[in-house]
Amino acid sequence: MESRILRPTLALYTVLFLLFLYGPMIVLTILSFQSADGGPQFPIREWSVYWYEHLLGFAETSRVSQLPVGDSLLRSIVLAFMTTVVSTVLGVMSAEAFRTRFKGSGPAFYLIILGMMVPGVLVGLGMALLSNTLGIARAWWGTSFVLHVVYTYPFAFLVMLAIFNRFDRTVEEASLSLGVSPAQTFRRVTFPIIFPGVLSAMLFSFTLSYDEFARTLFTAGRDLTLPLAIYGTFSVEIYPNIFAFGVLTTLFSFTLLVIYGLLMKRFTSKASRYSGQEDA
Amino acid sequence: MTALTTDTPSNTHSPAELREKKDRRRAIALLTPGLLWMTLFMVLPMAMVIYVSFWTQTTFSVNSTLTTASWERFLSSATYLGAIWTTLRIWVIVLIATIVVGYPVALFIGLFVRNKTLQTALLVACVIPFWTSFLIRVIAWRPMLGTEGAINVILMKLGIIHEPLTFLLFSEFSVLVGMTQIYCVFMVGPITFMLGRIDISVIEAARDLGASFGTIFRRIILPLSLPGVMVGSIFVSVMVLGEFATAASLSGRKTNLLGNIIVSQVGSLKWAFAAVAGVVLTIIITAVIALALRLVDLRKEM
Repeated sequence: MESRILRPTLALYTVLFLLFLYGPMIVLTILSFQSADGGPQFPIREWSVYWYEHLLGFAETSRVSQLPVGDSLLRSIVLAFMTTVVSTVLGVMSAEAFRTRFKGSGPAFYLIILGMMVPGVLVGLGMALLSNTLGIARAWWGTSFVLHVVYTYPFAFLVMLAIFNRFDRTVEEASLSLGVSPAQTFRRVTFPIIFPGVLSAMLFSFTLSYDEFARTLFTAGRDLTLPLAIYGTFSVEIYPNIFAFGVLTTLFSFTLLVIYGLLMKRFTSKASRYSGQEDA
Repeated sequence: MTALTTDTPSNTHSPAELREKKDRRRAIALLTPGLLWMTLFMVLPMAMVIYVSFWTQTTFSVNSTLTTASWERFLSSATYLGAIWTTLRIWVIVLIATIVVGYPVALFIGLFVRNKTLQTALLVACVIPFWTSFLIRVIAWRPMLGTEGAINVILMKLGIIHEPLTFLLFSEFSVLVGMTQIYCVFMVGPITFMLGRIDISVIEAARDLGASFGTIFRRIILPLSLPGVMVGSIFVSVMVLGEFATAASLSGRKTNLLGNIIVSQVGSLKWAFAAVAGVVLTIIITAVIALALRLVDLRKEM
């Protein structure tokens, strides 16, 4: 049986693949504990948390200028939050519309999907040109924000579409025929069923926007978002403070993921408790 | 029900038709904000890029006198034409690399791992790196590939090489490696999804009838996984073609993609040239997506 050779080979290959995926981050994490006089490469002169202190502004004055993390982090979080709210609302509305077959649904579908396909550098350029011509000042909460929604709304839409595809319509119809108003039906019947999807759509939108960079580059104006602050260091020499920063943002993302997981778990266990009551 | 009423001679006030009309109106009302958003903030900017590519470029500004001067300069410049060639070359190599690297992984996770928990765990393990900022993932290749980087240090310790390999970083090689690592998960995901949907009894039937694994792979697994390869290819293609950050960070300015041209032209306020490069990039991406969509119906696969 070839499967006896094939399975271990593929398993080994997958392990190597994961090493390929994680290798750079592991090296980066190790080097983030470089000492103050060490560079962004091996060997580690001495283990220290100097670059973390440096990043957070606790280090004494040094040859390396501090990363502009504070303000840009705040801007990125606010921007991601705005994007999440708008794209999730748009995504739910559009996916709800697609539950009924209607003429022109094909082009409408592709117009929405195009948003995640168009390269950020192109829409960014277009938006910069447009704002120049119309005399609108470029700002992260304006020109960048609308582009972030163009990018994340298709993701939210697709997630919700997948949820609605598995949705039993008769539950809603039962509620409506029992005389419950459409608004009440949405709040009491539809929303609880689609809530896990909404949560996933929000998670998608938030992380995509938080990390989005190509769409922001030409449209953010004077104030930098977090990815722009990192990009700014690309042109100059890099120091281990950017590695320390990479480790911290990853931890931040994991915190978000854990919150998402807990919300999901809490919600699904609540839902199963209700169905349990029905059984009793 | 609906089929029945549409078959009968048309009666404009039939309840089914009324309901259909109401549904349609509701769908359009729900869709309008989204479509309006996309038109204003995606279609309009893209139209603007095309329009500005015909504007007149002066030293530090553009004016709306129409001309094809920017186009002529772009198409007669070896640098810009070279950028088109580099973009296409890197796209093809990365696309093939992601398929070659990703397919066996997808095969293992989607078909060979039958334990649902392990399957999910492996997929999650593939996605976790995405929780690090994209730019950080790019920059993480520098301490990996540099002359004093991890790979050179390990190879020298093992005594395989005596001089550090210099082609690893700040070359086209590092761009290719970086892009393959960053984008190959977008290939693994869709293929795994398609492979996971294969009914295992089909494969067992083929095996019982005496087919070798090679035959099973060629006749069953590969054809059924092709839509996944196509969807993954679309993802990887649009992302690689619009790339510039990886090349900017890892190539040491040696690799100039169309995206890099756009960024550098905007940096020196050459808006019209940037727009020309943008239109060229749009044409390439449109051609690639159109080709891919001829081969696969995206809406059905989702």
